[in-house]
Amino acid sequence: MGVLADVPCLAQRSGNTAVPGAPAASARPAAGPAGQVGQVNTAGRFVVVLDAAHGGDDGGAQLNGGVAEKNVTLALSVRLRSLLTARGFQVVTTREGNVNLDKDARAQVANHVGAGAAACLSLHATESGSGVHIFVSSLAPTGPRGSTRFLAWKTAQSAYVNRSLKLAGTVNSALVHSGDTGTAGVGQIAATLARASLPGVDSMACPAVAVEVAPIRGDDRKVETEVTDPEYQAQIVEALAAALLEWKTDSETDADRARPGGATP
Amino acid sequence: MIPRYQKIVFGVLLVVSIAMATLLVRLRERAHDRLLKGEDVAPTTAPAVAPAERATLMVGNDMDGTLVAEEISLPLPKDPGARARALLDKLMEIYAGAGATHPVPGVPRAVLQVFLLPVAEVGAGKVRARLAGPAGSGAGGLLAVVNLAGAFADGHPSGIQVEALTVESICGTLHANLPQITEVRFLVDGEPRATLAGHADLTRTYLTTEAVAAGPEAGVEAGMGAKP
Repeated sequence: MGVLADVPCLAQRSGNTAVPGAPAASARPAAGPAGQVGQVNTAGRFVVVLDAAHGGDDGGAQLNGGVAEKNVTLALSVRLRSLLTARGFQVVTTREGNVNLDKDARAQVANHVGAGAAACLSLHATESGSGVHIFVSSLAPTGPRGSTRFLAWKTAQSAYVNRSLKLAGTVNSALVHSGDTGTAGVGQIAATLARASLPGVDSMACPAVAVEVAPIRGDDRKVETEVTDPEYQAQIVEALAAALLEWKTDSETDADRARPGGATP
Repeated sequence: MIPRYQKIVFGVLLVVSIAMATLLVRLRERAHDRLLKGEDVAPTTAPAVAPAERATLMVGNDMDGTLVAEEISLPLPKDPGARARALLDKLMEIYAGAGATHPVPGVPRAVLQVFLLPVAEVGAGKVRARLAGPAGSGAGGLLAVVNLAGAFADGHPSGIQVEALTVESICGTLHANLPQITEVRFLVDGEPRATLAGHADLTRTYLTTEAVAAGPEAGVEAGMGAKP
């Protein structure tokens, strides 16, 4: 397994002061596998890792009009980062520009967030299917993180699969209800939940889901809304931000309950 | 002075040697042609005399990410490896057809070969093959190694769901018709390949049992077990 020192400046960090829509104001390398390199200082913060899939010479899928998947995923990542930062989240992104990272490097970014990431979203786009596809690793769940000292790199996600499924449910609910608010948008977004073998996500030691954006199609399978539609993207990003806000609230409530003398359900 | 009879014997031996060498070369060429012809044709072409059999194809649907069991009738070879390949060829034919629920561009011979091997077990510090009869006898679990054509992988639509559906429909179809197949691995042009078209992991061994456990009748939501 390569060490992070080989891949400098992997993590981009943005805080509350970041200007929405602008590239991250500060960047520092994340920790190596044994924490040799400086850790991203995220103590006490609710950290979300955003992974814009593909990049560099890996363009990913070709979308309508010859747009590369890597550009759409980066646009979604940047928009979501801005929204989350404005809501008080600490956001770590795997890439802020047109660079290619291998899947292990992406997982390393997520795994070396200081106090552990609260959620990891891997963003994808495709021309196949309809609506938004939400994926959780197909690895079989293992015991809670505390029960083992070490996690195998390729199956690290197995300790978090149950929480990832819960996160996927939250994201699914937010997407399905995103058309109910009556605000501008493309209306109801169909979302499908599934499990798949996801290299990269399988190595992430945090609740992680892959979100794949596909065009919205009618019953006759004809495209009604393209992936590149700005309103569609905005609605998805709003829904993801709402889902993460709910995830944060739920996590804090669970933490309160777990504390001695905390509230009982 | 060489006696006349020795000249005759030498001449006969020379002619026989040349004739034998020519025959040998011809036989070698014929054997080579037969091998190549066998590789190209034998696994795909079902014997014309074979009766049509019922088979179940697990067909993907991009709209909702499910696999739906589809009953078909077609002549199938007896050999399990050739049978598996004929079934996958039919599946790819459906995907390449107009109005497919999971459209994938068709290429000639998308599935080059399907090899069936006994599943390897790791036990007591060593790898041993699970006791099984000859490949295809079904006495133990079988690993199917599906060798896909590079042109098929290169032309496959890119995306997590669309690639996963292709992989899972192959696994599901194999298990539905050859239940002894419990694991599936993939090669592309005979070589390991990281992903099908950028997303689906082809370096893993896929377990077929989990899709079947979910039940093909109601349609199986995409998602199969995998072991690293």
